[in-house]
Amino acid sequence: MKITRFVTLCLTAALASCSIARQDVNEPLDAVRIQELQPGSTTAKQVVELLGGPNEVVQLGKRTAYRYDSDTTKSALLFMVVFNLANQDTRQDRLWVFFDDKDVLTHYGATFGSHRTQYALPWEDVHDAAENADADARRPGVVR
Amino acid sequence: MSGARRRPYWLLALGLGACVTGDYSRVSFNEPVDAAALRSLAPGQDDLTSVLAKLGAPVDVREYRVNADRTSGMALVYSWREEYGWGLDISMPVSGEASARLELDFGGTDLPGCVVWFDEDLVLERWREGLVGDLLSKRRRPAPVLDGQ
Repeated sequence: MKITRFVTLCLTAALASCSIARQDVNEPLDAVRIQELQPGSTTAKQVVELLGGPNEVVQLGKRTAYRYDSDTTKSALLFMVVFNLANQDTRQDRLWVFFDDKDVLTHYGATFGSHRTQYALPWEDVHDAAENADADARRPGVVR
Repeated sequence: MSGARRRPYWLLALGLGACVTGDYSRVSFNEPVDAAALRSLAPGQDDLTSVLAKLGAPVDVREYRVNADRTSGMALVYSWREEYGWGLDISMPVSGEASARLELDFGGTDLPGCVVWFDEDLVLERWREGLVGDLLSKRRRPAPVLDGQ
């Protein structure tokens, strides 16, 4: 009977499986290249030549703003017989550039997060400051 | 209890796996803004440059209070999502041609965040935390792209 129970347990355990998946939307933003932007002198044309076409253009009265972004999603799933665990972590690189009515850059703001995305289980901390700092240090241009 | 009597429980557990499934999941999207940085914002003193430096790039930018001469302020939207939830999925055959499925999701759907409003001179007017849907008006006017007028 013990052998039967052991074999059954092994078979049941074997039914569990795991899966990881990664999905990227757009190329990660180039943090080094973004540092070339010069408020007061860079034009909209130069921004597009440098970074390509934006994902969105927003009209703000006489001003305009362009949005550039990139997403990375990492998913981890553990399938068991009657209970599943899943975690999905998505983060973005985002850049907003603001132009005046003459299409000259006035402001820009950037956030780089796609490299911080993690495969994790649902109870793990994916926003740990030390891990974020390590990831930032490995990405050129993010830490100034 | 004999081994012969126990065997059906294992079969039952395996059978349930096909029609009753529980799950625990988390979905996270972006990271919350730095709470200390947000609280340090001073209306009338901070401007667009300093806010972008403190909070980074927003998720969305909205036109705000457009004047007759087409000058306007703007609103920066920061949002994130961190949802934990238990779920239960029940499916069973009803007949040879149909089956029924019930899925319960105990997670929330509101998006927390903050909105930062600037006046026409891009000086910080105010900021608020909460659910983004409650902080913003639902409508945004259609906008021409680079009309240059």
